[in-house]
Amino acid sequence: MIRAEQVRFQYKKRDVDGNVIATEEILKGVDLTIKKGEFIALLGRNGSGKTTFSKQLNAILRPSEGMVTVDEMGTRDAEKLYDIRQHVGMVFQNPDNQMVAANVEEEVAFGPENLGMESDTIVARVKQALEQVRMWKRRKTAPNHLSGGQKQRIAIAGILAMHPDYIVLDEPTAMLDPKGRKEVMEALQRLNQEQEMTVILITHDMEEAALASRVILLADGQVRFDGTPEDFFGEDALLAEMGMEAPLSYRVQQAMGSAANLQSGAGEKRDKCKIDALDIFEKDKDLLSLQHVSYIYSPGTAYEKVALDDVNLSLGKGEIVGLAGHTGSGKSTMIQLLNGLLKPTSGTVTFEGKDIHAKGYSGNYLRSKVGMVFQYPEHQMICDTVWEDVAFGPSKQGLTGEACETRVEEALRFVDLPEKYYQASPLQLSGGQKRRVAIAGVLAMHPEYIILDEPAAGLDAAGKREIFDRIRRMSREQGIGVLLVSHSMEDLAEYADRIIVLDDGKKILDDRPAQVFAKRETLADCGLDVPETVKLADKLRANGYQIPQNVIREKELLDYLGNCTNSTAGRKSVDTENRLDERKQGDNL
Amino acid sequence: MIRDITIGQYYPSDSPIHHLDPRVKLFATLLYIIGLFLSKSLIVFAVAGVVLIACIVISKVPFRYMIKGLKPVWILLVFICIVNVFFGKGEVLYFQWKFIHIYREGILQALMRVVRLVELILGSSLMTYTTTPTELTDGLEKAFHPLTKIHVPVHEITLMMSITLRFIPILIEELDRIMKAQTARGVDFEAGNVFQKVKRTGRILMPLFASAVGRAGDLALAMEARCYQAGRPRTKMYPLRYARADGVVYVLAIVYLAGMIVLKVMVG
Repeated sequence: MIRAEQVRFQYKKRDVDGNVIATEEILKGVDLTIKKGEFIALLGRNGSGKTTFSKQLNAILRPSEGMVTVDEMGTRDAEKLYDIRQHVGMVFQNPDNQMVAANVEEEVAFGPENLGMESDTIVARVKQALEQVRMWKRRKTAPNHLSGGQKQRIAIAGILAMHPDYIVLDEPTAMLDPKGRKEVMEALQRLNQEQEMTVILITHDMEEAALASRVILLADGQVRFDGTPEDFFGEDALLAEMGMEAPLSYRVQQAMGSAANLQSGAGEKRDKCKIDALDIFEKDKDLLSLQHVSYIYSPGTAYEKVALDDVNLSLGKGEIVGLAGHTGSGKSTMIQLLNGLLKPTSGTVTFEGKDIHAKGYSGNYLRSKVGMVFQYPEHQMICDTVWEDVAFGPSKQGLTGEACETRVEEALRFVDLPEKYYQASPLQLSGGQKRRVAIAGVLAMHPEYIILDEPAAGLDAAGKREIFDRIRRMSREQGIGVLLVSHSMEDLAEYADRIIVLDDGKKILDDRPAQVFAKRETLADCGLDVPETVKLADKLRANGYQIPQNVIREKELLDYLGNCTNSTAGRKSVDTENRLDERKQGDNL
Repeated sequence: MIRDITIGQYYPSDSPIHHLDPRVKLFATLLYIIGLFLSKSLIVFAVAGVVLIACIVISKVPFRYMIKGLKPVWILLVFICIVNVFFGKGEVLYFQWKFIHIYREGILQALMRVVRLVELILGSSLMTYTTTPTELTDGLEKAFHPLTKIHVPVHEITLMMSITLRFIPILIEELDRIMKAQTARGVDFEAGNVFQKVKRTGRILMPLFASAVGRAGDLALAMEARCYQAGRPRTKMYPLRYARADGVVYVLAIVYLAGMIVLKVMVG
């Protein structure tokens, strides 16, 4: 059992002489008891103190006031330090930054080696831990040859080899693709159910929180909610305040609760959807296109790899195109080709009908017209202040003085960055703000086309919605064409007008979202999933509901269900109930 | 492409040399290098070359891999040749044109220097080809362990080495991403004078440093959470243990050096 009693924690800011100049209280009296075998989702906005609290649990930090005890050992007792850290393991967010060794088995052995165990014991423990996360076969592999999900499983194995009772994970899936997330979550559930491992999972993802047996919400350094996920998702006002959203399955169930007729209103909705999509599809033009483009990395060497294989593609203005594909499918190669960062091995890339690699074609012109926002916005920050950084593009285009300033101001206004940050260093901003500055930097060049690579990575539900709404506005109001690269099929379903699916360097699908998601088997072959909405709609259909195939957006589905009348009240959402039941059974095991 | 740089060029194979204890390999390589610097006689280099080729054959590392190790020093080798051949002084003049004088001694000097450097590089890369970075750092740690008596933090230094090796590919990839991201914004890395180039380098290095510092903090935290404490005794999953072959190689290495000394006395 872990007990936190009135835990307070202050960070002290010191000047160069070590005098305290300011204190910031992060934890303001946290009371909690965590029992063995629980699966806890620890939620909270950025700055709520959840990471600070998690570090109290294994004595990385010690309370300024109050106390934390782990199985009756106080974290302030210096003699118990290594006992506590052995009992409470910690896994962090970035899989690359927590690996020490040159291969998998040595990585897992690091903890036991630190504890001074005998060689035979270490070998046995490493084997056991790797088998638990199903990575034994990869034991000799170097970490940089593993996927993100595999790396996180190794990090978990590294903790398991120390035979802990509790495992604390600080957003372990935040940097992973959907496949990696699934792997990690399955490993955690297995450990919790089969080994009775206590799991404390810090997360922003409500689907993950729904798998927990208990949800704890921290806000402003205090426990704001402590109860079951079902109860938590019912707290509409609290969720809204926290910028969170209940999982879709739960919201669907709610919508079904106010049950209505599924048939009425269906025809009308369906038509509307169709017109919406067609209208957009007609706009397609050849602004930016790939013709028979192939790209081979390191041709003629042992590392030769075909990244893109004879791809044809045309992208137009005013349209949001989603680019989907698992890691390694050729997505990032494709966007680099579109921007002229890579030159195709064969085939042509054209912009406004001209070959961008033709002699005399200006790379700078292309890059000012085809903007690109990268996954890590800090990489593309060039100048010392936000204002200068946004001005970089326009000044490269030869704009000076007022013309340039107008562009900058316009762009910063559009992304809604508060004026007080204009003179700040871009590197000091929060993740969401950095991304806004990156987008502004591109917008200030007045591009015709923008490529966005995972623009919502690392943002919470509210931040994500905000950035996507802005992108949509940009496309609709200014007619800018958008290519949206995302792992999240949910985001693509929600915001794309058209979806392209890549697999193994080939274009597999290129169609309207509803059509793409209808091809479930093709998607599965590409290692992709359908969005949660489509899965739920499928389940509802299996239960006799007639939901049109083109319902793929959350709002459409919820509206659809909300419009129902009582004629089908007898048919409650069996599947969503099953889902919740399964979860409960999991808890009882 | 910047990403193609490879560090830690281990060539996995199942040869007797791969199975040797890293300490023996370090020791033998050291004696081999000392042997190369004992003499300037081409006969000595020929003997060293034969031994080296024999070792390469035993190690099962393909010759083209070995040659690849010379690529980065290609220009240096050519430079050595030019300097020695064209500007070396001597007695027997072979060729003269304007200010260029080519002497016999110059050519021999060039040949000697090039052969020595090639043998030096091939010999030490044979060690890195047959020893994993982990074995190498473990070997260094053990070999220098006596220095802990005079308060040299041997373990910490070798751990630093292995962590550095682990992070180099990660940072190279990140550098590549940063350069691409800035190129996409219109930064041209080729154009401009030296000052502009220096300024641009700063723009790349700043985010890279910021990220490296962040990563280091994360790593320290993760290590601490896994009960690591500098100076606290640790154990090893696979502790280094000598086998009989290691003893044999120790003897062979000493015999080799002794032979080289004898050879030097004989041929000068």
